[in-house]
Amino acid sequence: MFRSTSGTRRVTLVLLALLFSALLVLPTQSQGLLQRIGVPLAPIVTLPIEAFAALDHSLRDVWEGYIALHQVHEENQRLRREVELLRDQNSRLREAASASQRLTALLEFKGRAASQIIVAQVIGRDATNWYRAVMVNKGAGDGVRAEMGVITPAGVVGRVVKTTASASMVLLVTDPNNAITGLIQRTRDEGIVEGTTQGLARMKYLPLLSTVRAGDRVVTSGLTGGFPRGLPIGAITSIDKMEGDLFQSAEIVPDADLTRLEEVLIITAPRGESDAAALSTQPLQQRKP
Amino acid sequence: MKPALYLALLFGLVPIQTTVLHYAGIGGIRPDLCLVAASLVGFFAGELEGLLLGLALGLVQDLFSAGELWLNLVTKGSVGFLAGVAGRYVAYATTITVLIAVMGLSLLSGTVFLLAVEPRGLAEGFFAVRSVLLPQSLWDAVLAAGIYWLLTKHFRRKQAILEESAGLGSLMR
Repeated sequence: MFRSTSGTRRVTLVLLALLFSALLVLPTQSQGLLQRIGVPLAPIVTLPIEAFAALDHSLRDVWEGYIALHQVHEENQRLRREVELLRDQNSRLREAASASQRLTALLEFKGRAASQIIVAQVIGRDATNWYRAVMVNKGAGDGVRAEMGVITPAGVVGRVVKTTASASMVLLVTDPNNAITGLIQRTRDEGIVEGTTQGLARMKYLPLLSTVRAGDRVVTSGLTGGFPRGLPIGAITSIDKMEGDLFQSAEIVPDADLTRLEEVLIITAPRGESDAAALSTQPLQQRKP
Repeated sequence: MKPALYLALLFGLVPIQTTVLHYAGIGGIRPDLCLVAASLVGFFAGELEGLLLGLALGLVQDLFSAGELWLNLVTKGSVGFLAGVAGRYVAYATTITVLIAVMGLSLLSGTVFLLAVEPRGLAEGFFAVRSVLLPQSLWDAVLAAGIYWLLTKHFRRKQAILEESAGLGSLMR
């Protein structure tokens, strides 16, 4: 096979040195340049991703509909033989009914919610093992921008961190790099909800005098980020109060099942339709931050 | 043939990595196909090809990852380059050599990620090492060694067939 000569080796070293220097000396500009290089690449890669995502959904359906039930089939072989044919016929209908139920719930929620939202389908996971993130099939071309909040009818999912023309990466609420301002519904104490390495969430900076207890519900405070006030984040399971600390923290189990995400809602205007509409009709110079 | 293979890797690996590869995950940890590809190409085709393919794969991977845009680009590029350098100094590559080399490269790449995600405190750092860094490097190494073993087996068989036909040809002459 081909082997590099000393000339190509030198070229390689120069390329590598140039790349590292550019990233170190001009980090922001390099990121911008890389983003621009990625613009034409992303849609080409998104096509096979969507094809593989469809295959993934089919595999999951097969797994849930047939293989997982196979163990039960072994236990109840005689009875199962009688109903197998009907089950096979009904499997497709059940899947359709389940999808219809989920979509109806999403539509109802969309109707109730004051914010402007976009429905998106989860098509993949993060390309590395280091971030808890999912990929959705709506991107900059659909009006999705970084920092927008992502939810399901059950609760907060995370926030958009990166977009391409037709897909976006959503960093889950359980990722340690994510931070959302939260509010304890009963005590009205505010804090920051961050993910943990163990895959849960933790509410930090709670006042020492707070009477927070296990079971308390945590909702979004609406102060920062792309979420309106009052969306459910999760329930507190334990409190950490270390001697000498200025604050206490609480462990949270998220309300949304982040391991089985299929459809999500992206909040494009967290302040509500009327506010957003009013804002869009105002001339630019009159808009306040 | 080679450009087609590289294009297929460039546009095929990340879609597989982000969608169906979780079926091959152990404890939620999937092998990094781009790292394995960059290191094998670097190992066999030299540092320039390893670097260029690594950079391209890294950029595509960065577009579909929540991390910063340089992380995969730099790590995969470096992995391709270092694998090329390692390949140059290995006189006789075996499956074990590839296993050890890819494990080392994966550990190195993972350490960069670990520093980039900034774990809060030693306990979280050790947890990330135990739950992501080590299992992933093991996975990467085993996968790379497996692919290497299959490739060498295939090429040896091909070579044997060629030699056999050459031998028959000379006999007939």
